[in-house]
Amino acid sequence: MPLPISPRDLIGPMSPLGIPAPYPILACFKGLGFVTHMWFMHLWYAGLILAVVAYAFGGEHHRRWGARLAKQMPVIIAVGVNFGILALLFLQVAYYRAFYPATILMAWPWFSVFFGLTLAYYGVYLYELGIRHGTLTTLRRIIGWAAAAVFLVEGFLFANALSLMTNIGGWPSLWLNTSVAAAPLGTGLNTADPTLWPRWLMMFGLAVLTTSAYIVADTAFFAHDETDDYRRWAGGFALKVATAGVLCFAAFGSWYVFGTWSREVRAVMFGSPHVFLTALTAVSVGLPWLLILLGRRRLTGALAWAVVAAQVGVLTINALSRQIVQNLELAPFINLADEPVRMQWGATIMFLVLLVLGFVVLGWIIAKVVAVNRQAAHLGPEA
Amino acid sequence: MHYPWWHVPYLTGPMLIAIVAVLHMFVAHYAVGGGMFLAVETTFAYRRNRRDYLEYLHNHAWFFILITVVYGAITGVGIWLTIGLASPLATEALIHIFIFGWAMEYVTFFLEIASAFAFFYYWGRLAPKTHQAMAWIYAVSAWLSLFFITGITAFMLNPGGWESNRTFSVGFFNPQLVPQVLARTGGALLLSAQYVYLHATFRATDPELRYLVQRRSTLPGLVGAAMVALGGILWYAYLPESSRAVLVGTGVLNVLMTVIFVVTAVVFVMLYLGPYRNPGWLSPGFAILFLLAGFTAIGAGEFVREAVRKPYIVYNVVLGNQIYADEVPILQRNGFLEGGTWTRAYIAARYPGVMEGRRIVEERLLDLPEPEQRHVGEVLFQYHCNNCHAVTHGVSGASQLLRGWTPEMVRAVSREPDRFHFFMPPWSGTPAEAEVLARFLIPIAEPFPRSLKHAEGRE
Repeated sequence: MPLPISPRDLIGPMSPLGIPAPYPILACFKGLGFVTHMWFMHLWYAGLILAVVAYAFGGEHHRRWGARLAKQMPVIIAVGVNFGILALLFLQVAYYRAFYPATILMAWPWFSVFFGLTLAYYGVYLYELGIRHGTLTTLRRIIGWAAAAVFLVEGFLFANALSLMTNIGGWPSLWLNTSVAAAPLGTGLNTADPTLWPRWLMMFGLAVLTTSAYIVADTAFFAHDETDDYRRWAGGFALKVATAGVLCFAAFGSWYVFGTWSREVRAVMFGSPHVFLTALTAVSVGLPWLLILLGRRRLTGALAWAVVAAQVGVLTINALSRQIVQNLELAPFINLADEPVRMQWGATIMFLVLLVLGFVVLGWIIAKVVAVNRQAAHLGPEA
Repeated sequence: MHYPWWHVPYLTGPMLIAIVAVLHMFVAHYAVGGGMFLAVETTFAYRRNRRDYLEYLHNHAWFFILITVVYGAITGVGIWLTIGLASPLATEALIHIFIFGWAMEYVTFFLEIASAFAFFYYWGRLAPKTHQAMAWIYAVSAWLSLFFITGITAFMLNPGGWESNRTFSVGFFNPQLVPQVLARTGGALLLSAQYVYLHATFRATDPELRYLVQRRSTLPGLVGAAMVALGGILWYAYLPESSRAVLVGTGVLNVLMTVIFVVTAVVFVMLYLGPYRNPGWLSPGFAILFLLAGFTAIGAGEFVREAVRKPYIVYNVVLGNQIYADEVPILQRNGFLEGGTWTRAYIAARYPGVMEGRRIVEERLLDLPEPEQRHVGEVLFQYHCNNCHAVTHGVSGASQLLRGWTPEMVRAVSREPDRFHFFMPPWSGTPAEAEVLARFLIPIAEPFPRSLKHAEGRE
């Protein structure tokens, strides 16, 4: 009869190479990548399914909105995937001892992520081209639905991987149940972890809220060719979507916090000073909702900036809270502060210089594009 | 082995990396060369005020975005996911050494995406000079992306002086950097010409326009082929001794190298006689054949690039079976199972009788019942050998390779695999563990083929 395996025994040694920068710097870049990734990812995670439903079953304005989001989706996906790479890079540097084993235990589902993403991405193009050229055949509609469904599944797989990363206590049984001669077959999923479902669904609620912020921003900044009637409708629609998002976030967030957090995590997150952050994370979603409620009758540029800033704030606070909870969950197994630092000054400086140059060039590109859009708005829809 | 080993039946995990990497490379080179093509040709078309050519380039840019931004970018993510699964320690090492290299590549990649979309979606809406600038931003960013990635992959083959001076710059500016950047830049130019031919034969219906497209893209293709050849020669010159020996001494690599040289030479001749001298010859069938030739050369090249590093994944740093080279003497002294995080936990839980405190007493493995010894041997096989060998059938299946071997031969190869083939890793365990591995391998070895006349008396 085999003895039980202690999860602690499954954590490998620290890298002899050391981490290339102090942990807070790595965490900052990871957080930056995650927040920016979330903004765009939310639009394909929750936004696409809403757009497909709106286009299939909604009235005239719903269809207009669904078409607008679908047409922008290829660019949204490209940018969002790109930001995700930054988060993935720094996640691997700082959390390699938990990240690699977790993903290996669910290797095939994790491997399938890029395959599904490719199919869904091309599916979005086919759907979008159908709308753009007025050739939305039944097949293309089905492809649009399938792409939206695949993105929901992708979200589930990511929630699996990232929750399994901190559910180290669940590794031994998952490993032994899905392995041959101690080598994982990579067919496990973290479905026995009680945090998985509420995390996945809570993220969906947050994604719905981001979609509402997008509706406001899109209407204020880019919908110059739409009628006043549409713009008025968009405010009300954004409020409905935001309300649904806040309710979903509140319901599943409560399940997550009160139903799945361990005593240790609760002790820290409900104790001083973290309780303020926990409370802020819970109530912050109210700010974009409130802004949309107040400004829904006239979606101005100022309101849109405020809603976008509020939603970025919500995502940042969420990412910060999540980071603290993640570290608390890992603390019994991995102490990040123990990692030896071998600072790569030259490479860090080169990266920062290139990053600044990149921002300058990116700023120039955006300025040129915005100028063209402004000119088009000035000339009106006929232009 | 610090991580669990992912068992991929028949194929092996690293072969999965090779497949994803090759599929990515088919497009990644086009993402660089195609960007250069669009920048140069858009500038040319604006200067000559060739509206028809601009229209063609607009059409090509759409094809380019659909291929590179979707398939190319997502398969790039696919490589990240796959290497983390199938080569976790090598990925851990590389990301700790080169995180800021990848971060720099990320910046250039972001500029690629932004400029590519601005270039395509704002076609005809941006001022000509701005539009051309977008194309050039893309081209420069894409090439820089190639440069950063190549520095890291070149390090995997020849880390140069990094062992004695473990800094980012020493690792990045390694002896293989220039040869590989040269070869990859040439490959990008050559492959993009082939993509352009393919697209043009279907989409440029006007004969005069098609003639122009072919004429304009052939010279870069020829230059690219020459760069591939030059880069290849330098690549060979800066190969470590063992890599050259692998290249010379392995039959399959001999064939693949011949394929690369023959295909590159044929493509060069076809480029010269076809699009360069007789542009009218280019038909859709010819273009497809041309592109397939490019894919063949690139696929073979990537396979060779992976194979010549053996037994290492990162040369002299991380072995293929996911242990640091520095760990080998320690594992030989203390035991492979003992040194592996997951193997030690497994043995401790399943065979507490072989443990002394938290230490595995390897000799006690030989006291286990025979089936249990075979099971431990299978654990050793998975973690020490499965990175290159499937168990019975599939990629270099052990049963097939050991066909007809005597038990003593199997024991000998288990004790000193690197003596049999220098491109196999050294045995990184104790003699008792080697014996246990042999006891797993002996029963699965296939018998000597009976159809051979001299098979009589062999088992």
